Amino acid sequence: MSKSIIQNSLRKMRFLAGELTQQQLADELKVSRQTVVAIEKGNYSPSLELAFRIARVFNTTIEEVFTYEPVKK
Amino acid sequence: MSYQVKENIVNIFSGLLISTIYALIIYQRHQEGRFDLTEDFTTWGVIFIIFMIVSVIARIIIYIIFHIINAIALQKEEDIPVSDERDKLIKLKATRNSHYAFSITFASVFVFLAFGMPVYGIFIAFLIGGLLSELIDNGSQIYYHSKGI
Repeated sequence: MSKSIIQNSLRKMRFLAGELTQQQLADELKVSRQTVVAIEKGNYSPSLELAFRIARVFNTTIEEVFTYEPVKK
Repeated sequence: MSYQVKENIVNIFSGLLISTIYALIIYQRHQEGRFDLTEDFTTWGVIFIIFMIVSVIARIIIYIIFHIINAIALQKEEDIPVSDERDKLIKLKATRNSHYAFSITFASVFVFLAFGMPVYGIFIAFLIGGLLSELIDNGSQIYYHSKGI
């Protein structure tokens, strides 16, 4: 499966939030830990709603967490 | 290994096990001459209805056994994870794949019929197609859970 063109800084954000664990973040977001792992690895692009919820957990904006890298032709 | 992957592996094995045992029992009875599956299509209806009931009961039993073995292996009772948006998307894609598989089987049946396949072959093809689409459903879920969507 190809990696998503949406990059994220979830790992950095977790570190900056006092080494928040994937499980703790998953509990905050009410999703499974596997979903957090998949997002972090770039294997899954979350819905807009979940992206907003992630940003809200870290008190930041979506652009700070997710960046879109368009494929160059 | 995540709970969803384990659950799908159990589904694959239980599907194969139940279908194989049931098919063998029916074939044995057919060989003994208790009913003629090549002519009596009403019996096929009864066979399918019984199969659905047996399948549901057997799966419930297998699930209970799976939860007991899983709890013993983990030395604690594992909570069934709440289905989130990713799980729902995976299920949706897996269902799509299984529908493709069953549609292909359905279309193939008529092609084979046109080439002279006996009518009772339809029922056997539906049984195999049903099993195949279920395997594709569970296999797809395992794939998407491990490789991503």
